[in-house]
Amino acid sequence: MTHDPMAEIRASFFVECEELLESLQDALSVMADHLEGDGTQDTETINVVFRAVHSIKGGAGAFGLTALVSFAHRFETVMDELRCGRLVVDHEAMKLFFQAADMLADHVRLARDDASGSPPGSETLLIAVEGLMGDRAPEAEEEEVEFAPMGLSFDLALPDLGGPLDDDGPGPAEPDPADSDSVESDLGESDLGESGLGGQRWTVRLRPLDALYASGNEPFHLLRALAELGSASITCERAALPDFDALMAETSYLSWTVQLTGEIEESDIRAVFDFVEDVAEITVTKTPELAEDPRLCQPEVALAPAAPPTPSAADPVPEPTHTAKVLAIAPVAPALPVLPAIGQAVDLPPEHPLPPPSQAAAPTPQAVIPAVQAAAAQAAAPAEAVAATVRVDLDRIDRLVNLVGELVINQAMLAQSVTEAGLPANSAVMNGLEAFMMLTRDIQDSVMMIRAQPVKPLFQRMARIVREASAAVGKEVRLRSEGEGTEVDKTVIERLADPLTHMIRNAVDHGLETPDRRREAGKPEEGVVTLSAQHRSGRVVIEVADDGAGIDRPRVRDIAIRKGLVAPDAVLSDAEIDNLLFLPGFSTATQISALSGRGVGMDVVKQAIGALGGRIAITSERGRGTRFSISLPLTLAVLDGMVVRVAGETLVIPLSSIVETATLSADDIRSLGPETSVIHIRGGFVPLFDLGAELGYRGPKASYEGGIVLLTAQEDGSRAALVVDEILEQRQVVIKGLQHSYGNIPGVAAATILGDGQIALILDPGDLVENATGRTRSADTFLALAG
Amino acid sequence: MTAPLSLAPRLDLPAASPLSEAIRARMGQALDLDAGNVAHLGGLCLQVLLAAAASWRAAGQPLRITPRSQAFEDAVAMFGLAPSQLESEGGA
Repeated sequence: MTHDPMAEIRASFFVECEELLESLQDALSVMADHLEGDGTQDTETINVVFRAVHSIKGGAGAFGLTALVSFAHRFETVMDELRCGRLVVDHEAMKLFFQAADMLADHVRLARDDASGSPPGSETLLIAVEGLMGDRAPEAEEEEVEFAPMGLSFDLALPDLGGPLDDDGPGPAEPDPADSDSVESDLGESDLGESGLGGQRWTVRLRPLDALYASGNEPFHLLRALAELGSASITCERAALPDFDALMAETSYLSWTVQLTGEIEESDIRAVFDFVEDVAEITVTKTPELAEDPRLCQPEVALAPAAPPTPSAADPVPEPTHTAKVLAIAPVAPALPVLPAIGQAVDLPPEHPLPPPSQAAAPTPQAVIPAVQAAAAQAAAPAEAVAATVRVDLDRIDRLVNLVGELVINQAMLAQSVTEAGLPANSAVMNGLEAFMMLTRDIQDSVMMIRAQPVKPLFQRMARIVREASAAVGKEVRLRSEGEGTEVDKTVIERLADPLTHMIRNAVDHGLETPDRRREAGKPEEGVVTLSAQHRSGRVVIEVADDGAGIDRPRVRDIAIRKGLVAPDAVLSDAEIDNLLFLPGFSTATQISALSGRGVGMDVVKQAIGALGGRIAITSERGRGTRFSISLPLTLAVLDGMVVRVAGETLVIPLSSIVETATLSADDIRSLGPETSVIHIRGGFVPLFDLGAELGYRGPKASYEGGIVLLTAQEDGSRAALVVDEILEQRQVVIKGLQHSYGNIPGVAAATILGDGQIALILDPGDLVENATGRTRSADTFLALAG
Repeated sequence: MTAPLSLAPRLDLPAASPLSEAIRARMGQALDLDAGNVAHLGGLCLQVLLAAAASWRAAGQPLRITPRSQAFEDAVAMFGLAPSQLESEGGA
């Protein structure tokens, strides 16, 4: 495996894109809320939106992702109008902004998957968004990233190429004219005679630090962006370049001075360096008048490849003689703590901004402090309360989780041997071991917390689903999310996306009424879908609720009867009717819509939740709405289980599926058919399964009288009684997956290693019962009894 | 005359070290670089080429870059240089 730093930087760019898209969604939601409120927008929020789009554009530019840059650029232009107060936000505009943000996410995804081109509808949407600007809409703007063939005319003075480079020459801050070469890039649109004289002249000096290259940035892109601002004369300063023998390939030696002329604002220049301000020394100097522009007193020389070198005396020396203002470019606004520079290698927390321009301003360029140093100095100052974060590879965390799992097992083994050694309970070893146990548990909890992530990105994805689903069925729907900060194991979050999507679509399509119906019912036309997450007694509960019509129970019952899912004369409680929705093949939609009603229904959702060790419940009130609650374990790495013994084997049964335990008396057991039995418990009959027989450890016992049963309940309300020989203990076990080595084993969810080093299977009672024979009596016994 | 050294299409950060090594291996002899496929020339590789040209010049050995793609020429110009500055006429 070769190590590809660019691939790594690229990957981290896309991770940052996700964060930027998240903050973009957040800011748009805040804007939408403001619109609902008094209608005024605060500039802070608009800036967040602008900067998010801008940052994505900047990073994408560094990787040459043209389609993404182009989209982001045009979106950004509209956002800029908004930022400047030239655009008024209304409902229509807000909708378009959300769509554009979704489209931007699609663009990012396409770019990440190395697909070329734009997602469908991208251009149409852009035109609609740009339409908000009215007359100010740009006419098919030239893309910044395109390599537009440009007419280059060179106004250059080359030094004597014969001589060796001067090693001990002055540093890059003081360029030696002999080591400077200048090429004016006349970019076609600006003729000095027209735009130059009326505009301003800037001297921009750029000295990339090593970190600039290391973070995947390129001075080439910066120079090009500068050149696009106006008429540019670019000078390369090579004084610091060592001999070839001494050259380090990844060290930055060159620097550049750009003389810019045109109608250029300082902010335009600054924007070019938005992403590299702390990995390069940058100075921007304004030169007030053009009278001394050397180019005016010098005829242009068109460069032929064999153009003879001319003396460098006439070269515009990038020494700013008329320095009006020199400043180290500081971040535009520290208002945006979540937006680090794309792929920056020097990972300074953005809440320690560079000194404000007034502080950093220095009378001469020589005094300019490298931005990194300045930031480092600032870092010592009291920080604002923004948590610093580190991005870590998930693999590393998984390894840590695994190791801690081993530690827990090891600790349990140690505890067991100490107990077996018969040491007194208050001995030093025992006391030390107890402290060790507590520490281990703390470490385990902490490690589990590392894997936990807020559900917010998931919820934001759902916001998009709501927007798309509501547009598809012509309903006005608002998604309200609560508890976005609730943290759940990353694996759980990933696997929740599909079921949640399904439920949200269901809520929009089936749950909410049409606007007409809502009006008739005296409700606002806009329906509300609420998505919430919260921790409740060691589990996380996620709810999807709508304020629609609620479940039409008579209709559900009719459909179930028509489809043969329940007997026509069955007496069903409300809850039982509601639960019919989870039956495979059930669909209440009378018309198959674009969204749902294709027979893939809530049963799939239920299966997916069940696979996560979760439960789903449904509550509904006629006319008021429906609420689905999903209850999930916080992590998939550990599990609370009951350790039992069956035929000499130790097994673990997830505590979440056990309702109660009981000892059987002869009266409880009833025969059902030749080989199966049921037990009579709490006024109902529950099928009896002998774990020993089901798992093939032994045949059915002759009698179960006095036997111990675990009563389990599944999400669908079905119950089963599992016979075990002995209940050992109730404890947390570390889950060790078996699927990689053994594939899917019916009835077995995973395995764990117990304190004594023994391996125990973790059973999946739902799956086990589904595949069970139910044999609790052998046919022989039956015959013997009959005979 | 040795065969021309063909430059990678993307002369960016990962390409800088290999490029430097490849050129170093050909020190002391006339060198032809083929920049016909270059789509991107970054600052680090530019440094390598600049320093190599200076070194070849000092040794009086020729160093030519031919053919040169449009992207290569555009990039050199954007960096404020002329292609001839990356070459050596030799003539020792």
